[in-house]
Amino acid sequence: MQHDMQHEKDNHSERMKLVASLTSKRARQDFVKEVMKMPGGENILDCIQCGLCAGSCPTRFAMDYSPMQIIKMVHLGMREKVLSSSTIWICSTCYICYTRCPRAINFTTLMMSLRNLAIEENFVDKNGIKPKFHRSFFEIVNKYGRLHEPELFTRILKKSDLKSLFHNAALGWRLWRRGKLQIRAPKIEQNNDLFSILERTSKEGS
Amino acid sequence: MSEEIRIGVFICHCGGNISDTVGVVHVKEAMGSLEQVKVADTFEYLCSNPGQETIKKAIKEHKLNRVVVASCSPRMHLDTFRQAVKSAGINPYLLEMVNIREHCSWVHDVKEKATNKAIALLRGAVERARYLEPLTPKSLKVTKSVLVIGGGIAGIYSALELADKGYQVYMVERNPSIGGHMAQLSKTFPTLDCSACILTPKMVSVSQHPKIKIFTNAEPIAVEGSPGNYQVKIKIKPRYVDLEKCTACGECAKKCPVKKPSSFEENLVQEKAIYIPFKQAIPNAYTIDKDYCLFLTRGVCRICERFCKGEAIDFTQEDEIADLNVGAIVVCTGYSLIDPKLFGQYGFGLHPDIITNLQFERLMLQGLHKPSTGEVPKKVAFILCVGSRSTATNGVGYCCKIGCMNAIKHALLLDKAVPGAEPWIFYTDVRAHGKGYEEFYAKAREHLATFIRGRAAEVMPNGNGVIVKAEDTILGQQIEELFDLVVLSPALIPNTETQELAEMLGIDLGPDDFFLEVHHKLRGVETKREGIYITGCAQGPKDIRETTMESMATASKVATFIGKGKISVSPGVAYLIPGRCDLCGICIDRCPTKAIKKGKKEAIIDPISCVGCGICVPLCPQEAIDLKHCTESQLIAQIQGVSEEGETSPKIIAFLEKMTAYGSADLGGQNRRSYPPEVRIVGVPSTGRLGIKPLLHAFAAGADGMIFIEGDDSLFKEDQLREHVIQLKKDLGKFGIEPLRLQSTTTTLPQYEKIMSLFDAFVERISKIGPLSQEKREELKKYLAGEQYATRYAT
Repeated sequence: MQHDMQHEKDNHSERMKLVASLTSKRARQDFVKEVMKMPGGENILDCIQCGLCAGSCPTRFAMDYSPMQIIKMVHLGMREKVLSSSTIWICSTCYICYTRCPRAINFTTLMMSLRNLAIEENFVDKNGIKPKFHRSFFEIVNKYGRLHEPELFTRILKKSDLKSLFHNAALGWRLWRRGKLQIRAPKIEQNNDLFSILERTSKEGS
Repeated sequence: MSEEIRIGVFICHCGGNISDTVGVVHVKEAMGSLEQVKVADTFEYLCSNPGQETIKKAIKEHKLNRVVVASCSPRMHLDTFRQAVKSAGINPYLLEMVNIREHCSWVHDVKEKATNKAIALLRGAVERARYLEPLTPKSLKVTKSVLVIGGGIAGIYSALELADKGYQVYMVERNPSIGGHMAQLSKTFPTLDCSACILTPKMVSVSQHPKIKIFTNAEPIAVEGSPGNYQVKIKIKPRYVDLEKCTACGECAKKCPVKKPSSFEENLVQEKAIYIPFKQAIPNAYTIDKDYCLFLTRGVCRICERFCKGEAIDFTQEDEIADLNVGAIVVCTGYSLIDPKLFGQYGFGLHPDIITNLQFERLMLQGLHKPSTGEVPKKVAFILCVGSRSTATNGVGYCCKIGCMNAIKHALLLDKAVPGAEPWIFYTDVRAHGKGYEEFYAKAREHLATFIRGRAAEVMPNGNGVIVKAEDTILGQQIEELFDLVVLSPALIPNTETQELAEMLGIDLGPDDFFLEVHHKLRGVETKREGIYITGCAQGPKDIRETTMESMATASKVATFIGKGKISVSPGVAYLIPGRCDLCGICIDRCPTKAIKKGKKEAIIDPISCVGCGICVPLCPQEAIDLKHCTESQLIAQIQGVSEEGETSPKIIAFLEKMTAYGSADLGGQNRRSYPPEVRIVGVPSTGRLGIKPLLHAFAAGADGMIFIEGDDSLFKEDQLREHVIQLKKDLGKFGIEPLRLQSTTTTLPQYEKIMSLFDAFVERISKIGPLSQEKREELKKYLAGEQYATRYAT
């Protein structure tokens, strides 16, 4: 009985905390303003929570919050939850939500901005698999002008564990047999032009 | 004018409201010393009966022929004082009012400064009064007939109301039959009345009413004239069937060899090239579609002609033009549905079982079936907000207003018609705002319609069915379901010719491309052009109940307008100075009310259509136009007076458009929002009235900065204002005056804070720039007195 009451009380104070965090207008405004300054976040206040993005998203099943919920959480200033969510890392940048969004919110670009913020503010381990994957990805693109899967794979692998090597060996074999894996790094024409574009954009980005 | 000008100045204390802050006695002395001022006096309450008597007595005693009253805002008591001077035998337009309460005593604290400002404002009024001319309002007979454009439910209701009131009504309908979209509907929400059962009797009443004449297959092609007397040309396209002879027996259609998709049935079924849209069509006669008829396209066939017993087929018909004289025009051109193909994810057009809600209406009436196989659909998805509430490309920003209720209606009808039916409604927000709508929504839930809160993401044909993918945002999970039929609710958009018609009529479209009313709440069916009214979905999406009510409101407004029999027009209109116009056409293009027409040698300004905004005056390169009651000489005299007087520095003249912007400044005064007394307000018909000349005069006379404030609802639109001010700034630059000395903005009535903070900021800015140098003023004066004076836009 006493235990129940205590539980009730805790529950209540927990709820009150949530209410307080929701109604702290200042915190909300600060986070919303911050996000609105990021690429992709310009018009997040236009969101009418229709759910078209969430319904369209091909990787929605693996996310802890739907894209629509992430935007609502930004509106409510729930900084920690947004930046530690798996959603921002699972987004495969297919842009389908952006092309369909009736309010023209560029959710895909916003995801990338939120990733950067999450790394900056230590919401993810800088050397953890997620940032590592993205970093390796861009390093390889910067090197060859396009992606080279085996290298990406070995890079992530080197920095994580050996177990997954065996786990993925069979898949790698099958891919290789069908000619989907190239051992040699690919080459593209006029890669110098691409590199100069990449260089300039990375400067402007920073 | 040979008569001697004798001015009387009367200053009101307003029981301390004015006299506590403004030294009225001081003002009186300053005014009394001016030339031609025969008497200057103060009074406790000028608006009271004894106050008015004082004015009347002074007029008689001093043989005054101009009166200046300094008191509250003219928006408050202009009529009072006009009546007073009129009863003393002076033309009411020879009275000038100065606002020293809302624009002076209520907004300033330092008595000396407030007094100086009041003197300056009065000085301007006295200078202006010298140039005032007597004017009389014009009155004109009104044609007691009405043109109704569009024969849908809005047109039908407006026409019946007006005809019942006894006015002659002409109804123009583009299609072969009147009835509009409502004729296509199965049932109406929330009462589930049969749509045809309530509409067709009204259609019959229209056709049988002695005061209504219907033109079908017709549209207006030209509108001329002025409010109360419009001349409209109607083009009547041939239907190749004699309306008098056709008995709608249908023999012709049985024999006609050509088939075409029926637009009334939303292309779901085929009909013949000679067709009647629906059985209860008014006029009840067949029509030949000239794009399909074999004789009209290839010159062979004429089978219908052979089989028509009444000899009603007439291939010799040609376009006819009808000329109508009407006093007022009611626009009820309705809506179209947005093309769902614009939104690829809904797969419209990929599968016959993905249809619009209007097609579903027709399916219900044809006997519900799947267009693909003819089977009865059981599981039906209703997808709302297709293109509505969207700020992205292709979509429209507003709510379609009928989609929710319509889908709920369809769900209930489906539930009734098909045992074991499963209606699913994919909604964004259910908007059940009307009378009985929330209850209707509850009824659908009782019938176990499935409501999914989430905009459908994708519709994919899948063999015999259609898959709908969406997120249930309440459960936070994606769902994918197979349906027999998918019904889309496309956004409502204005009909295709709306833009064209707006240009023809000289009325505005809103940002949503629907026709724009004058005021959202108070003047919801009137347009900026008097005598032209809008009603129904032409003005914005609405349901049938709202449409009929609005139509009755429109009918009442029209009856009030033409019922008076004559129209009285303010005499403050633009007029042409003879012998100067070279027909360059600039004013004709820019007149917002289309009041200026091309004449033989000179432009012709219609004093009835003209609303006296004065935009045309500074536009004319020949200086051939002037505006009565705000002539160039009156305006310059007033501005000079206001600018010259007093020693304050800097001196800012704020030109406020006299309705909204001026009223907004009044509101600021009523709320005692103080601002620097350096700002002196002058009311003008619109800031477009001001060319470079008055500005140069003001700078020469002592002003250091100008502010233009235009009402948000003014005919002089924000972008025009911006363009105008940019041009003026360039011109000022040519005279060596810093462009920063001129600023403009628009405002709505309650936004007085915007104006006042602009005043604050602008005074600060001009203080920083410093006053205009004395040499510059002398230079300007010399220039203005010199010969180049006439070439206004020196290049």
